[in-house]
Amino acid sequence: MTAAVELSGLTKSFGSVRAVDDVSAVIAAGQVTAFLGPNGAGKTTTLRMLLGLVVPTSGNATFGGRRYDELRDPVRHVGAVLEASGYHPGRTALDHLRVLSTAARLGRDAPMRVLAATGLAEDARRRVGEFSLGMRQRLGLAAAMLGDPAVLILDEPTNGLDPQGIRWLRGYVRQLANEGRTVLVSSHALSEVEQTADHVLVIAKGRLVRSSTLTALRAEASVGCRVRSPEPDRLSTLLDAAGHRYRHADGELAVDAASEQVGELAAAHGVVLHRLTETAGLEEAFFRLTEQSPLADQPASIEKGLA
Amino acid sequence: MNALTRAELLKLRSTRLLGWILAGTLAMVLVTIIASVPSTGSTNNVVSLDEPALLARIVGVSYLWPQLTVALLGVLTYTQEERYGTITSTFLVEPRRRWVLAAKGVALVLASAVIAVATLAVSLVASIALIRARHGNATVGAEFWQVVAAAFLVMALSGLIGVGVGALVRNQIIAVTLTLVWLTAGEHLLIEALPQVARWTPGGATFGLLQLGAVATTSGALLDAPIGGLLLVGYTTAAAALALVVAPRRDVL
Repeated sequence: MTAAVELSGLTKSFGSVRAVDDVSAVIAAGQVTAFLGPNGAGKTTTLRMLLGLVVPTSGNATFGGRRYDELRDPVRHVGAVLEASGYHPGRTALDHLRVLSTAARLGRDAPMRVLAATGLAEDARRRVGEFSLGMRQRLGLAAAMLGDPAVLILDEPTNGLDPQGIRWLRGYVRQLANEGRTVLVSSHALSEVEQTADHVLVIAKGRLVRSSTLTALRAEASVGCRVRSPEPDRLSTLLDAAGHRYRHADGELAVDAASEQVGELAAAHGVVLHRLTETAGLEEAFFRLTEQSPLADQPASIEKGLA
Repeated sequence: MNALTRAELLKLRSTRLLGWILAGTLAMVLVTIIASVPSTGSTNNVVSLDEPALLARIVGVSYLWPQLTVALLGVLTYTQEERYGTITSTFLVEPRRRWVLAAKGVALVLASAVIAVATLAVSLVASIALIRARHGNATVGAEFWQVVAAAFLVMALSGLIGVGVGALVRNQIIAVTLTLVWLTAGEHLLIEALPQVARWTPGGATFGLLQLGAVATTSGALLDAPIGGLLLVGYTTAAAALALVVAPRRDVL
């Protein structure tokens, strides 16, 4: 697995407050990695250190072995959306992008290309001050895509978006990943990235408390449902065919899938169920991990699962 | 560097700020000229209508507002980016922050040249028309061209100092207020109260470089133009050097 981004012992202190504490992680190329943690956990500071905007107290972050400020034409390698407020309200969307593309020595057609890709072509000549929050988020993504980068970093991109905007964003991020790009997306809510992420990094109180695949996290958190059936073998065969992981437990099957999925699968094939119950939700597991995990009190961050 | 400078110029052009500032500045230039050209028969004029260097004095004093404008524009060039958060995308495109600061400086020098030309056009036409209407001496002599050259230098240096102040202070309200209070009141009061000290300030150096003499202060304690010019270059170098050292080390949060 190729590493697109590496964080090594990244630490940042503001006075006596240690905002980020010895974070080490590897972001695999070509995948969507969710960077999760509650508000104030250190996500934004970590991302800003990664992008050379905040100077680390110690440690470093690299893209293919180079710090961000060592990259030649960085926007051609890395695109970032860090905040929805990074616009002059009196400047048009097109001019905002023209400023960036001019500075980055990109082609003249780049601004309109990314505006079209993010559904803002018709609003190109409107001033950004007239934009809704969702449109600004799209404009942020457009700016990030100007250099057609292989790596995208998105900091809480769904903040303030309505459900329609969140759905669009999920689809867009998934599309970017399908194109082979590496996406690192931060969020304070696991549910927002659950449908798009391949890997998760969980940070709490400035420390990395988990790095693994979402599937592994789901399995370990006993996320899914428990099902009892008089036809366990048939049900097992169906679950295997559908790609759902399961294990036998107390005469039941513990399945790593939502109860709705299992129930509909059984009904579609005429398998009788005697009992179908939800087990702990992934969000609850995430909450436990960030608020109560003993790992949060360990001095060093933990890196596993991606190597 | 060229690309960064073009981007900075586009930033200036792509909002309405520059247009409003230019219109307001030229209006103030006109007001300054009307107030500065001596009245016919008045005995209270600091310069007389017969003085050979009258046009040079009037054009020189007409650059005081544009100088303030360019200094403010320099401050806003940096502080607006902090205020609206665009500094993040600016530094993402070019992480070498000294290059960004240098590009802002070059852009301000170019913008100051444009404003200086517009000021000269308005100032020259209005001054000559008013002086001739009052039967004064509107000779365009060597001193006039020295003042014009000095004015272009003052404008460029003021823009650079503004960028430096903006990069150092960062907070737009504080930076703009400091600049306005210092340039419109602080230095003028200091020059009247302590002329021997105040002539060494940036404002004192500017007045000396523009050879404003009695137009700027009744004490006549201004520096000679070359010394004033060198002093202003020194202040600009100090502000730019400080900004180039401090800005790259700051966290962009």
